[in-house]
Amino acid sequence: MSWSAELAEALGRENVITDPARLRTYECDGLTGYRVQPAMVVLPRSAEQVAAAVRVCAGHGVPFVARGAGTGLSGGALPVADGIVISLQRLRRVVEVDPVNLRAVVEPGVTNLDISKAAAPYGLYYAPDPSSQQVCTIGGNVAENSGGAHCLKYGFTVNHVLAAEVVLADGTVTTLGGDSAQVPGYDLLGAFIGSEGTLGIVTKVTVRLLAKPAAVRTMVADFATVAGAGDAVTGIIAAGIVPAAVEMLDNLAIQAVAASTESVYTPDTVAALVVELDGPPDDVAEQFDEVQEICRQHGSTKIMLARDADHRALIWKGRKAAFAAVGRISPNYFVQDGVVPRGRLAEVLGRIAAMADDAGVRVANVFHAGDGNLHPLVLYSEAEGQHDRAERLSTQIAELCVELGGSLSGEHGIGADKACSMPRMFGEDDLATMLRLRTAFDPDGLCNPGKVFPTPRLCGERPGPYRPHPLEEAGVIERL
Amino acid sequence: MSTVTTYRPAALAELRDALVDSARAGERLAIAGGGSAAAWGGAPRYDAVLDTTAMSGLIAYNPTDMTVAVQAGMPFAALQETLAGNGQWVALDPARAGTVGGLVATADAGPVRHAFGTSRDCVIGVTVVLADGTVARSGGHVIKNVAGYDLAKVFHGSLGTLGVLAEVVLRLHPRPAATATLAVPCDAAAAFDLGGRLVHGSLEPVAVEWCDGTLLARFDGTAGGVEDRGRRAMALAGAGAEWLPGDDHRAGARWSAVADLVRGADGDTVVRLGAAPDRAPSLAALVDREARAHAVDAALTSSPFAGAHTVRLRGATAAAHAAVVIALRTEFPATTVCRWADGLHDELPAWGEPPPAVAVLRAVKRAFDPDDRLGSGRFAPWF
Ligand SMILES: Cc1cc2nc3c(=O)[nH]c(=O)nc-3n(C[C@H](O)[C@H](O)[C@H](O)COP(=O)(O)OP(=O)(O)OC[C@H]3O[C@@H](n4cnc5c(N)ncnc54)[C@H](O)[C@@H]3O)c2cc1C
Repeated sequence: MSWSAELAEALGRENVITDPARLRTYECDGLTGYRVQPAMVVLPRSAEQVAAAVRVCAGHGVPFVARGAGTGLSGGALPVADGIVISLQRLRRVVEVDPVNLRAVVEPGVTNLDISKAAAPYGLYYAPDPSSQQVCTIGGNVAENSGGAHCLKYGFTVNHVLAAEVVLADGTVTTLGGDSAQVPGYDLLGAFIGSEGTLGIVTKVTVRLLAKPAAVRTMVADFATVAGAGDAVTGIIAAGIVPAAVEMLDNLAIQAVAASTESVYTPDTVAALVVELDGPPDDVAEQFDEVQEICRQHGSTKIMLARDADHRALIWKGRKAAFAAVGRISPNYFVQDGVVPRGRLAEVLGRIAAMADDAGVRVANVFHAGDGNLHPLVLYSEAEGQHDRAERLSTQIAELCVELGGSLSGEHGIGADKACSMPRMFGEDDLATMLRLRTAFDPDGLCNPGKVFPTPRLCGERPGPYRPHPLEEAGVIERL
Repeated sequence: MSTVTTYRPAALAELRDALVDSARAGERLAIAGGGSAAAWGGAPRYDAVLDTTAMSGLIAYNPTDMTVAVQAGMPFAALQETLAGNGQWVALDPARAGTVGGLVATADAGPVRHAFGTSRDCVIGVTVVLADGTVARSGGHVIKNVAGYDLAKVFHGSLGTLGVLAEVVLRLHPRPAATATLAVPCDAAAAFDLGGRLVHGSLEPVAVEWCDGTLLARFDGTAGGVEDRGRRAMALAGAGAEWLPGDDHRAGARWSAVADLVRGADGDTVVRLGAAPDRAPSLAALVDREARAHAVDAALTSSPFAGAHTVRLRGATAAAHAAVVIALRTEFPATTVCRWADGLHDELPAWGEPPPAVAVLRAVKRAFDPDDRLGSGRFAPWF
């Protein structure tokens, strides 16, 4: 029997897609410039069916790519032409919320936000909060080690997952992690999280839940220079304060926000910081005053305090709408995700501005300043032939972050997008050692091939330009 | 015993050369840091020792970035001392006085694991040297980074069986302006209940530990904030509770008792195990019952919400210790023997039931150290 017939038999004809028109839905993720049509898409209804599909693939040497909501921004869920996509969208049960043990067990297709919704009746929530949280899945979060605005204080996906049931590349099912973080042996769970779907498919996840903080205070501090805002971030961190979130918007981003939604930001400020503190009320009150003082010391021109929960929501709405909003002031843009040491924020922003001037394109900045994770948006017009210049600048910015002692990616992943820049950050032996890990999990390289690691085939190709994710255009989700 | 070669490199290049030389000689190596966890798990078979303690330098410390890079043989206590000068620390309080590399390789941690986790949660980059001399780096110097696989995780808990940690980069936390400890004498069930109320009540303790009949909870924050939480915690705890502000000898002595129990002494057996939070009371009951049945003096300290527990066995025979450990393993397979009473190795296999992913553990070991030269036998009988 052919592998496609075997898959149809194993999963049921109604759970496989081969019609080219329907396959097109799966040809890209949020990095829409990269498109490949898979040979088949399967939509298993259970972990057993996932394992059955992988066994068929293993038996015939067919590559497979797991897919959650397809919001990834690095081409991680980009299909392989002669392979299949395994969609986890039908595995979306919240299996259990266990308030006593502060954890929940969920299937991989459950959205990030639905976990917090299920935990809310117990006064608990799931901390990592990517801005795509209304749609992105926990399976995708595990694969990317996703972050969010509040990861400065609370950490990333890897700090909040206790166990994962995983289908390995040969179709066997195992559990990584356990009842507690005290599992003897190598931390395979930790290595799996952030492996971008290349070490296996997650079919069940046990996440930690946290008690909601007693107090939350939020402010927006304006600055006359980007460097001033960057230095204020460095000052806050150096003062030993750990805010829940510190986000920065520059003027271009603020203009974009004002053009598209009810904006609470000062229209003509050069830069603004959103700083949020949460925790026990007295601690928060004391440090909130201190943060305002630090902002003033660094030349803040105006500080606006959130009056109440509604006002705070408006601040966050503007911050989170910034990405979609940028789409309204520029026909096309690339987004970068590089990270720099927190002491070098002002420096890197200055250099990006100079590089943008040289290239003759505009760059808007709206990002997680507290952990040094930039999201420069390189604005350009495809129609005016600026694509190549913009793409070059975008890559140069990511590589500049590496040069300044940082990283190519803070949360979006390497995927197909930045695989060719990996040699900027890692040597041959580093990559070869990482490949040893991959070989241990997936000796035949069938699990999401062509991602993370540079290959001549991949790095010779030229992708198309970035286009906003459809959900982003619709304003459902924002990019941070 | 014949003399054993000891390699004691002081720099990365020397470490690589040592591994290349020993590979050429076909030696099996035991990797040794401070030696405080040398007995964990099985006893490795080795022809030579690789001692990391000469690799003890500070590579880069930038207080503004709140990250530090060190050679892996640096004593953890020395690192904390350096950082304290800038009001910073690595948010880990292990009982054992080992090296930074040893801390990663043992996955050890102390009571603040409740809030900060283990070394897996604060290591942001590593340089490792494999058995064949390959030098590999992963992660970096920034706190947020998803580029490439995170090799630090694979080495977390590796007990010297995958390669040598040469350099480690850690994220730092600010030392709090104020700290205080709540101490409440109670049994394990009451401790779990009260601990749960402290956690759910948004009091944000950084440690919740039940040590041999006393619940200890530590609160870090601003002076006013800690004082306020003290009032609320005391109200929840009721009669018999003590509030110990500061880090002075009174609070310090309580936390030292936890560390003493975890370290154990000559002749003791010490076992670390993992369990879901709500199993803490039944674990305490099991320890009591088994200790009585085998006439062993047993003590337990638990971080219930982190699911980490340490049992110390004292007195009686090795056979009695073995019987208690076997009973613990039956209920709690995620168990590591950290200290072996004399003769216990003859009574007890090094490990109990393997974790479900043991086949992957084996495959990873094969991929990194195909000739089984490093820490050979440490994970026997699993691999
Ligand atoms: C507007 C917008 C805003 C965003 N904001 C953020 C943000 O703030 N922070 C952030 O970190 N990211 C952000 N992202 C990126 C993206 O949402 C995350 O990477 C998310 O985790 C992807 O989840 P997904 O379900 O869409 O996964 P997909 O895009 O479907 O897949 C992502 C990767 O995960 C793998 N994968 C998916 N499911 C599984 C599984 N069950 N088992 C194994 N591998 C699997 C895929 O193979 C692929 O490699 C944003 C994206 C958009 C479009």
